[in-house]
Amino acid sequence: MIDWSAVQEGLSLLFSSPSYWLIIIPGILIGLLFGAVPGLQISMAMAIFLPVTLYMNFMQAMLFLTSIFTGGSFGGSIPAILMNIPGTSSSIATSFDGYPMSRKGQHNTALGLALGSSCIGVLIGYGILFLLIGPISKLVLKMGPSEMAAIILWGITLIGTLSSGSMVKGVISGLIGLLLGTIGYSEAGVTRGTLGSPYLLDGIPAIPAMIGMFAASELFRLVNTKYLVEDAALRKVSIKAILAGFQKTIRYPWGIIRGSLIGVFIGSVPGVGSSIANLISYMVAKKQDADPESFGQGNPAGVVASESANSTSEAGSMATLLALGIPGGGATAVMLAAFAMHNITGGPQFIREETDIVYAIIFANFGQAVLLIGLGLLFLPLLANVVKVPMNYLVPSVLSLSVFGSFGLTGNMSGPITVMVFALVGWVFKRFDYSVSAAVVGILLGGMAEDSLIYTYQISGGQWSYLFERPATIAILLLLIVSLCGSSLLAVVTRAHNLRPTRESFSGSQKGSNARTK
Amino acid sequence: MNPKVKPLTKHQIVDLTVLVALASLVVWYFVNARSASTHILNLILILPFTVLTLFLCLIQFICQFIRPSVEAPAVESVKSVLPVISLFAVYALTLPWLGFDVGTCLFVGAFLWFHGERRWPWIVGYSLSFASVVSLFFIAMLPYPMPMLVFPS
Repeated sequence: MIDWSAVQEGLSLLFSSPSYWLIIIPGILIGLLFGAVPGLQISMAMAIFLPVTLYMNFMQAMLFLTSIFTGGSFGGSIPAILMNIPGTSSSIATSFDGYPMSRKGQHNTALGLALGSSCIGVLIGYGILFLLIGPISKLVLKMGPSEMAAIILWGITLIGTLSSGSMVKGVISGLIGLLLGTIGYSEAGVTRGTLGSPYLLDGIPAIPAMIGMFAASELFRLVNTKYLVEDAALRKVSIKAILAGFQKTIRYPWGIIRGSLIGVFIGSVPGVGSSIANLISYMVAKKQDADPESFGQGNPAGVVASESANSTSEAGSMATLLALGIPGGGATAVMLAAFAMHNITGGPQFIREETDIVYAIIFANFGQAVLLIGLGLLFLPLLANVVKVPMNYLVPSVLSLSVFGSFGLTGNMSGPITVMVFALVGWVFKRFDYSVSAAVVGILLGGMAEDSLIYTYQISGGQWSYLFERPATIAILLLLIVSLCGSSLLAVVTRAHNLRPTRESFSGSQKGSNARTK
Repeated sequence: MNPKVKPLTKHQIVDLTVLVALASLVVWYFVNARSASTHILNLILILPFTVLTLFLCLIQFICQFIRPSVEAPAVESVKSVLPVISLFAVYALTLPWLGFDVGTCLFVGAFLWFHGERRWPWIVGYSLSFASVVSLFFIAMLPYPMPMLVFPS
């Protein structure tokens, strides 16, 4: 399975010139910066710096772009933890527990955990890619639109059922998100729900909507607080605590491995990628944890689950790009452009003929993970100082940054206006216990879910029997049903289990009232 | 003895109103999409998901009547948030005329003033420097022009 002579050639290529390693450092720093500034995206960083790769050879270009990807994957977790603003869509789940940890004064630990999980995740992800690039590419080829639609529905159901206090409200949020995600010009050639605005022809700008619902709405909730961390003694930025958090990562070996496997698999599905891998990993971790109620309250396992998945999904999307020539998301789409700029076509032929380059890229990413530790530890203390900024300065600054960033994403005023509208929507959702994350992921993936359903319909000719030819689709749909019913069943079983001692210890006349109290 | 039926609180009434508003949004979108085209490819996702959402809204509506949600302990009062939302809306909507530089400076300055900062040098200094640094950074980084009043876009 592993071509050892190509491995040797790859290593010689990688160490043939120091330029291959020197180019990684600015790449990681660019990624960290773009990931850490709300509104700036990894794909944007890569697109901006893509012309620079014209002056590089193909190998240098790939290493430069993948290092931006690696730095950005971690960078997005910094605002997610410190400000509840997922710097990128792949850091959404990081904010679920990272931000509550920050509010408890555990921001140093959370940042250290995120850095540790990201670095180990990259190592595991590329390790899996090194061992399994062949089988992964074969598996991905078998994923059709029906599987993609099923994965999207499963992801949203999971998020909806687990991220809101009310399961029904959570699923309603996800479904409304999916419907909003289909606004605009559709694959079927019709325009819907645009209210006559040309800005909505391409649909609701998903990332500005995400910034509005997650970040701006949270800032509205914090207008009356003095500091992000209320206790002055907990506001310290400590490299020791960050390092302790980094070391703490190894206490979650199963969490990292599970997150990494989910990340590689989901990340390799074209189009779905890291934006859903981190969420599914988080939800699976929450379901399997002995204390699922602690998730969302600042459980370090939540940060580990999300960060390990989003960093490994990079390796998954690289597998699809290298093996099939299909980009998994915006970032790998830019890489595909770099392929074209260097007259190289990704796909089975590339893997077969340029195996040494593939292995060199994989080994360079091992190096990137190690360099990320150093650079991350160097810059985190600087970035973590945000907890010392009074909220009356932080709130308008971050709101303004969101507006700038959203304009940067759309190139017109639809971005800032989307942030404003969805900030209000997010605030209402949070106030009445609707799932903001399910709605956001729905908006992000609504268009893709519809396209997948259309392709499935076209391939199947509208015959339901087609589903029986797709066992993977049926398996994912069964998982969806288990996710829906499983939570309710678990609640019933838990309630019954909790009631048993009550029944044993109280007399018959008290039973009913006690049960109701429970 | 029948237990006294408690009247719905203000929070619970607004909660139900939000639910009805969401259901109405879904119905409006379906009607809009249907008027655009009744072809199956246009409604393949919208029709089943609309039906499902409305069904869940109905279940939730009934549940909220039978077992109203407990009022969530919100840290922020609506009265304290509405001025911030209004200020943010004015900021976002006036950007094409004020430009990102001046608009941001005014927004940050106004926010600081409304939230207790009374040291004028701090208000002016911070809002000016923040707006300038961020505007210049984004002007340099973005490949397309941003509306600006003072800085060249």
